[in-house]
Amino acid sequence: MARWRGALWSRGQMMAAPMQRALYGGAVRWRWALGPRWVSASAAPRWRLAGALCLQRPPSITQALSPEQEAMAQLAHQIEVEKSNFSDYEIRRLAEEEQLKKRKDNTYDDEADSGQAIVLAQDLEDAWEQKFQRFKAGPRITDADKRNDRTSLNRKLDRNLMLLVKEKVGNQELWLLPQAEWQAGETLRSTAERALATLSGNCIQAKFLGNAPCGLYKYKFPRALRTEGSVGAKIFFFKALLQSGDLLQAERREDYVWVSKGELGDYLKPDYLKQVNRFLMDQ
Amino acid sequence: MLAAAACGAGRLLPGVRGGAGSSLLSSQLSWTIHFRGNHWQTSMLAFQESLPMRAEPRKKKKVDPRRDQAQKDRMKKKIKKMEKAAQEMIPIEDFVTPFKFLDASRVREISPLSFEENERRALLLKKWALYKQKEHEAEMETLKSLMAAQQEALEELRLESEELYQAAIRRDEDLFPFEKEGPSYTPQVPGYEAPEGKCIDITKVYTQ
Repeated sequence: MARWRGALWSRGQMMAAPMQRALYGGAVRWRWALGPRWVSASAAPRWRLAGALCLQRPPSITQALSPEQEAMAQLAHQIEVEKSNFSDYEIRRLAEEEQLKKRKDNTYDDEADSGQAIVLAQDLEDAWEQKFQRFKAGPRITDADKRNDRTSLNRKLDRNLMLLVKEKVGNQELWLLPQAEWQAGETLRSTAERALATLSGNCIQAKFLGNAPCGLYKYKFPRALRTEGSVGAKIFFFKALLQSGDLLQAERREDYVWVSKGELGDYLKPDYLKQVNRFLMDQ
Repeated sequence: MLAAAACGAGRLLPGVRGGAGSSLLSSQLSWTIHFRGNHWQTSMLAFQESLPMRAEPRKKKKVDPRRDQAQKDRMKKKIKKMEKAAQEMIPIEDFVTPFKFLDASRVREISPLSFEENERRALLLKKWALYKQKEHEAEMETLKSLMAAQQEALEELRLESEELYQAAIRRDEDLFPFEKEGPSYTPQVPGYEAPEGKCIDITKVYTQ
């Protein structure tokens, strides 16, 4: 009880008067955002805490330009060429073109020149073009894309991919972000790290982005399961970037998928999805 | 005897250092020494006693270090003077147009744009302005949503436990410096060997 009071008081002097009123009401935890149901509770509700992990594989290729961007890029290039002066290479090309024309008009004009081996700009360009053709770049649309293999990390290289796992919660099999129950004596971020370790068994290296959670999902247990100690659960999400490793080597048998933000709707429940979408960038 | 003395004088010559008269010794025949033209050749046989020959090889202990020190001081003074003078600014290569690019022959001849082309460009620029505005607004909304979600999570955490909240708002020292390779146009080809070559850096380095 004293702990709650301490938390309320430390929020700042501006809230002093309403807080006092709330306290007179019998140590009620007061929060505008949650609505009237909290005011009616006689004892402070207890929530089970969990740390969840939002593991993202960052994109390795750039996204394709939208049509407006494409048109604008072309216009910008056109204007840049128009406003520029000739470069050394262009002058050389023009000079050589004139020479070739002259040679066609007055044939065998400069016999001395034709004896020399001149590397024309055109030849250089042809050589470069051939070299470029010989180079085989990696495909932007991979096999995994074509097969729509969602467990593969090679899919959708221009988007962020997030890890989802299927777990049994209560008596339901649900798709959710990998999570672990908070144990006393550890911070929530270490809970998320533990979740990652149990999931992958040290196969995955991830960089956690800070100590603070990026989002929260709160839900109450069905009335049958509610006890004095736990009314519901609060799941705190922590963002991490995948640096190396994959789940293929892990001993995990359960299902997992790597999905982009647009595909999350296929797996997550609506309320959960709404909270998760709040802390994901549009991709 | 005089001739022998003369030969002796010739042999002793290289050993004698200093004394301008030593070069003249060979030209002076010993029998003319009674009518000598120099004051230091007092005796014919006692070569080693005459003044220049008595001089030993110069001792380098006291005089020369002082001379070196004096030289160093002079150099330091010169350097200080140069430093005090206004330093020349390092020219910014990008702002200085080399003269060969200002040549008239380099100017591109462009025919004036048609009315349709101008119209197309104007309309495209307007569309682009609108597109960028929408994009900016969407980005701002996303950022606001991100920050609001984090703020809410922290508030709820505080309500749960002050200790966990303090641990959450603590600065993460390992996060920065943060390095990450950006995306490229095509993905990495596994096992690709870049062609061998030597990179010669020709950037101009200025010292002040």
